[in-house]
Amino acid sequence: MHRPIPTALYNFSRPTLHGASIAGVILAATFAFAVAGPAEAQTSGPTVAREDTMHTQVSEVLVRAPRVTLDEILDRVARGEARRESLIVDQQFIASFRLVRPAGSKGDTATILSERVMRVYKKKPNHVRTVMLREYERDRRKGNAEVNVDFRGGMDEEIVNFAFRPEARRDFRYRIVGRDFVGGHLIYRIEFSPKSPLDRTQPSGLVWVDTNEFVIVRQEVKFDRSPVPLFIKNVERMVIERKKYGEHWVMSRAMIRIASSIKLPKLGKGFDFSLRFDQYVMNAGIDDAIFREGTGR
Amino acid sequence: MMARGIIASVGLAAFLALAVPAGAGTIAADADTTLDGFLDQLADSTSEYFGASAAPLDTAGLDSALVYGLAHPRARRTSLRPSFNPDFMFNRVDGPVYLLGMGIGAERSPGELRAEVGYASGPNDVLWQVRGTRSFRALGGRWRLAAGGGLATGSMDRERTGARLTSARAFLFGKDDNHYLRREGFDIGLQREAAFALVGVRYRDVDESPIATSAGWNLFRRPLSTYSNLAAYPGRAREFEYSALVKVDPFPAEAEVIHQTSGNAIGSDFEYRRTRVALSGNVGLAARATLMPQLVYGRLTGQALPQASFYLGGSRTMRSMSSSARGGTGFAQARLEVIGADDVLETLRIPHPAFLPLQIGVFGGVGAVWGVDPFGGPSRSGGDWPDREHWVSEAGVSLIYQPGFPSPTTLMRVNYAWPLGPERESSNFSVSISHAMDFLKTARD
Repeated sequence: MHRPIPTALYNFSRPTLHGASIAGVILAATFAFAVAGPAEAQTSGPTVAREDTMHTQVSEVLVRAPRVTLDEILDRVARGEARRESLIVDQQFIASFRLVRPAGSKGDTATILSERVMRVYKKKPNHVRTVMLREYERDRRKGNAEVNVDFRGGMDEEIVNFAFRPEARRDFRYRIVGRDFVGGHLIYRIEFSPKSPLDRTQPSGLVWVDTNEFVIVRQEVKFDRSPVPLFIKNVERMVIERKKYGEHWVMSRAMIRIASSIKLPKLGKGFDFSLRFDQYVMNAGIDDAIFREGTGR
Repeated sequence: MMARGIIASVGLAAFLALAVPAGAGTIAADADTTLDGFLDQLADSTSEYFGASAAPLDTAGLDSALVYGLAHPRARRTSLRPSFNPDFMFNRVDGPVYLLGMGIGAERSPGELRAEVGYASGPNDVLWQVRGTRSFRALGGRWRLAAGGGLATGSMDRERTGARLTSARAFLFGKDDNHYLRREGFDIGLQREAAFALVGVRYRDVDESPIATSAGWNLFRRPLSTYSNLAAYPGRAREFEYSALVKVDPFPAEAEVIHQTSGNAIGSDFEYRRTRVALSGNVGLAARATLMPQLVYGRLTGQALPQASFYLGGSRTMRSMSSSARGGTGFAQARLEVIGADDVLETLRIPHPAFLPLQIGVFGGVGAVWGVDPFGGPSRSGGDWPDREHWVSEAGVSLIYQPGFPSPTTLMRVNYAWPLGPERESSNFSVSISHAMDFLKTARD
């Protein structure tokens, strides 16, 4: 059972990430809070007794360690993402894609217009095979809302880390907007926005970075202006989520809600597009033979 | 006091933590579970927002579908169905050109082949082009191979873009100041794309020949803005071209170098070296506007061929001048432009449809050509740099629509430019479609 960390303690933890002592103490504190809760519920094994009347005095320590700069954090995120990618040799997962007309203000219900479910096999350096498991079209004859998604080789998940790649640093500005201490994890919330408004398709957004591995665990993307005004009025919300499978963080969902500038056939004035990735199997040693058939590339 | 209490708590916590090393693994697992819980909480709110789009997947039947799918692989889903498109172009040397285009395949896989055949009703010629492109990954990067050939009418200004708009203007109002030549032959090029650069090499082997004006009319029966067509120097051009587009880190700018070389050593009738260097910047001004400084410098040495010369004038260079108003073997230009990010109609509270956000831009620039005049006039003085009197300058405003495609920075613009200084042509109104950083010839996106 986790007990929320008091705000004051959270503030105390702000000065540095760098100083191992403070980080160690914070970690220890978390362990302690975590232990203190379930102790009463334990029925067997050793227990830790806490003496409520015991008081101790610890002298204050002025920490002189330099605070981690934003640049250092960004460097670590780039390295963390690269490391994440390097650890994955092959992966297989279920991918599903949905095109949905969301519930309207007039009380009509949400409608799934198209759904594709496939098993995807990927292996470095550039092997991909997809096996279609389900194809659903609400109205196949008209075919206006068909979803076609191609996978490419590589495990880099550019959709998640596009703004945090070394080559993207020149195009975006970054700002730390918050820190959350969750269990043993310090989560940085970093906001990014394009330095220049020239390219409408460059979004701004917010990422949650787990500083244990410096991996992006969640991202919310927004467009200040419509990327394609002729068709899209605005992107109302876009969220990209990751989950940890074993030792590996991988993308679990990407959801986007779009309001269109004009009434589109079948879609109306807006639609949702969702991608979901489930049932990952990582580094299982996929046989190369599987890529020699079908849609392998 | 509060701080001391907290520190005391932390110290106690540390003590307790050290006292229970046996439980550390469990605690770490709990920490991960806690993080999962934290992320799940955020995910739940996302699911609530997206509703049916976020509903869990119905997995019934997927296992058996997988077994079947693995046993019965589908053929690759690349469409090899050709597409056909009729087209129409117009210029004063070809007159109306009735074209039929055909395309098949896709550039990434298995490769794209496009062919076009047309009838130029002015000189009664059949024009044709075939072009194949294939992009692929190899040696840790993306490559693009393109090869093509045919008999076609090309522009004397090798940097010119926007042929379709020019064609429409020429057909409707007779406004076309470009000069043309015929090219018959082939070219082949290879590009390599990396994170910070795009480099390429290209070889072309073409017969270049002059072509005379054959259509002196237009739909609205206006007098032609230019009747005669500058004659190209005839001969076989064999040429190597080397190009590089590089991001100038850490500055928000890109630099481009293009060097073209042709000589007797490779069997060419011409002997020249042509180099063009451009630099384009893209600086955000507090997310409300973009400042775009652009510079370009070009030199042609060896034979001063009209078809290898540099031209000044038109929406891509000096917008206050008509297209290709001046030419030379040396070329330099600088432009500073500011493009607002906001929808000006919204700012002015003018009702308008959502698909029509318009932006405002202002610009100012200077430019010059010098050296041998391809139009046969006296040479303009200057060596590596033009003499002072050859510089021209301008200022202007643009109303801009940014559609977001075919490239994210494609701008459709209406420009109004004023010449600055004495002895200049009158102000000019122009319509153009181009990349925002139009001094760069290589399209990165």
